[in-house]
Amino acid sequence: MSRSGISRTILVLYLLTAAGTAIWLSAIFLAPALAGRGSAGAARLIYAAFSPVCHQVPGRCFTFHGQPLAVCGRCLGIYMGFAAGLVLYPFVRGFSKLELPSARVFLLLTLPMAVDGAAGILGIWASPIRVRFVTGVVWGTVLPFFFLTGLADLLLARRRKVARTLEKIRVNNVE
Amino acid sequence: MDKQKPEYLRPALIAGAIAGVLSGLPFVSAGNCLCCLWIVGGAALAVNLLAKNTGGVLTSGDGAIVGALTGIVAAVVDALMSIPLRPFNMELARRVMGKVSEFGYDMPSNLDGFLDGGSGILSPGWFLLGLFLSAAVFTVVGVLGGVIGVSLFAKKKPQAAPPSAPQGSGDAA
Repeated sequence: MSRSGISRTILVLYLLTAAGTAIWLSAIFLAPALAGRGSAGAARLIYAAFSPVCHQVPGRCFTFHGQPLAVCGRCLGIYMGFAAGLVLYPFVRGFSKLELPSARVFLLLTLPMAVDGAAGILGIWASPIRVRFVTGVVWGTVLPFFFLTGLADLLLARRRKVARTLEKIRVNNVE
Repeated sequence: MDKQKPEYLRPALIAGAIAGVLSGLPFVSAGNCLCCLWIVGGAALAVNLLAKNTGGVLTSGDGAIVGALTGIVAAVVDALMSIPLRPFNMELARRVMGKVSEFGYDMPSNLDGFLDGGSGILSPGWFLLGLFLSAAVFTVVGVLGGVIGVSLFAKKKPQAAPPSAPQGSGDAA
């Protein structure tokens, strides 16, 4: 596959991921907005959609329109960090190459959240929401670099496979 | 060179079942509240199992596939486990919310109604909707966990490269 083909594939995935992230973040704020306006049914559906990935304990959530967001402060930080990572992606990686971040970088950026989370679970300290949010942002920033690389590599491998199959068929037909 | 195709399903079934059980068990499921620990961990475990079968050489695309499959399997197992455990989980949620409110945190005014409404038998429609939402979310998170797993456990194959920079793998057709 040509360099421009690879760039186009990564760019399309990038735009789709950015759109998905925008919808995801909007939904987090939409749930309390709906709840605040009395649309309990719609709000409940959105809260339920986020329940598999977050405890949603109100005391650990930022509020919007007087209602807790659909996810806790740490999860919001992760998603905000993911969005920030997407903004950084073109400047750090560009769209012409696929490369995973090193495991060392990943572990380093995971460390603040892991320490804060483990200390909270063990009862050593109870960090305020802002600290949870910041450690989430730090971790979330690295995630798009994994996500986009994985999906783009998968898609490009499929396209190469299809191209090889078509080439074989073409050669067979010529013979 | 004719590459051996990795066997994705078996590691995904094993790791997905483990992640699903952990996600469905009361108390233990709280691990998912820490950035979907069980799903990310399950997907990374699937990559680890896959890496053992393939001599450790995997691409990030392999990680994405096995991670996505792990997420789907985990969502199904989690949903199936939630059926018998639902009344217990609702009671647990009510107790936790009660404890939280003792610390002075404001609770949503309709919370009791929400929990009471959920304590009955789960309708097939809500079950399928929940399964669909969980599967969608767990698949995305599984992709992420799988690719992270490749970064942690696998020897990397050369990534997709333009024809001008051949890697000598004989991959370019």
